[in-house]
Amino acid sequence: MTIHLKLDYRKFPAEPCEAFPRRRSASRPVVPVSLINKNKKVRHLSLIDSGADLCIFHGGLGEQIDLKVKSGKKLTFFGIGGIQQTAYFHDIEMEIGGWKIPCYAGFSYDLDIPYGVLGQVGFFNLFRVQFNYGKQRIELWSKDRN
Amino acid sequence: MAEKTDLRELLKPYSDEWVALSEDSSKVVGVGDTPKKALEQASSRSEKNPILTRVPEHYGTYIL
Repeated sequence: MTIHLKLDYRKFPAEPCEAFPRRRSASRPVVPVSLINKNKKVRHLSLIDSGADLCIFHGGLGEQIDLKVKSGKKLTFFGIGGIQQTAYFHDIEMEIGGWKIPCYAGFSYDLDIPYGVLGQVGFFNLFRVQFNYGKQRIELWSKDRN
Repeated sequence: MAEKTDLRELLKPYSDEWVALSEDSSKVVGVGDTPKKALEQASSRSEKNPILTRVPEHYGTYIL
């Protein structure tokens, strides 16, 4: 069975700058996802980011679902500006639009963006993703996992 | 339940904090310097399914 989800972009405040003096908001493909470990669940706004290799969330969210964050498999990665960061990976479940999927997700206390990150492995490998900025709409179709 | 997707006014008063939004994102139900504190506040207000987000100190531009 193919899952088909329609989700909306979210608008966030933005500060004007020299290059964009009239800028007051930023529309981003940010959607609520639930991170689940056994009977613990936390919902978090996460950015669908085709430029990210993996799915990464803030370490504090891992604690909320009773993960011993730093006991996970360690990965060093590079964020914005090439700054070295550390994430610890755990097998969890992720729920999006009411659909639950397994996810090998990283948790990092170094994450320098305010959202969770839904990247290539853990998200794009499970969904075909269509962005429509004009309509402020994101559509997801699950890929056959067989 | 229709979700509010324009979060500009809702998040503007906060800086460098974790914010818990109501299930439909229509209001802020918890604020704290950790996810735990924001969720505890949401829970004390009987919010069953809050959505957490982190508000940065400055609303910058992201090139990822």
